[in-house]
Amino acid sequence: MALAGVSFIQWLLGAMLIFSSLGVILAKKPMHSGLFFLLVLLTLAGFYLELSAQFIAAVQLLIYAGAILVIFVFVIVLFQDAHAQIIKYASRCKPLWLALAAFALTLTLVAVVFSLTLPPTVALHTDKPNFGTVQSLGIDLYSQFFFPFEVASLVILLAIVGVIYFAKKES
Amino acid sequence: MPLLYIMVISLSMFTIGIIGALVKRNALLFFLSIELMLNAANLLFVYFAQSWGNQIGLLWVFFVLVIAAAEVAIGLALIINLFRQKQVVDVDQYNDLRG
Repeated sequence: MALAGVSFIQWLLGAMLIFSSLGVILAKKPMHSGLFFLLVLLTLAGFYLELSAQFIAAVQLLIYAGAILVIFVFVIVLFQDAHAQIIKYASRCKPLWLALAAFALTLTLVAVVFSLTLPPTVALHTDKPNFGTVQSLGIDLYSQFFFPFEVASLVILLAIVGVIYFAKKES
Repeated sequence: MPLLYIMVISLSMFTIGIIGALVKRNALLFFLSIELMLNAANLLFVYFAQSWGNQIGLLWVFFVLVIAAAEVAIGLALIINLFRQKQVVDVDQYNDLRG
């Protein structure tokens, strides 16, 4: 089997990732889902460290766990009373069809994975001394990817303006 | 780390995200499932960047983070606005555009 080179810590990280992403969709309370998502982010940061992408791991923790998840948790807390009233409405979807759809989807993905002709062993280029460091990433970002970088700043500016427009109360 | 291992993990995370987005009726959890899918894609990006020794994949992760941040801000503002109008966070009740 092609799974020979997986170390103990990688098995642990993978199991934690699957467990916590299942927790996101299976938890009863929305706040618990948010906390499971935090666990997903921490585990992913562990994976990124394992793949020697230190900068991405740090950015993941700062932006995802520090900014995006905090907004999510704020809104979840804001809707505290609204979560409970969802069960008052009847669900429109039948559980049987949902289960069938999920099963078909999983089967499709499994078929895709096992029909791929994977290269037997992909050598990890961890020997490159400056792979994934802030310096070499910054050089690539500001030379090769300068235009997308500027567009990204524009996207964020548009998001700010749009959110202010949505949040404004009609008077 | 073999490709198959990362691929199975990333795809199962993506599938969990899709199932969550289809099943969840709470608008916030629906959104959280979309974040799961984005993160599954990010994991593959980082792995391929690593295995080919090419940093472009890491930069794509960077841009995915930017888009995710903008998307979450706008999406949550939309959900709050919808909640103000309908007093409900159930996505099944947001059916004003249904013909």
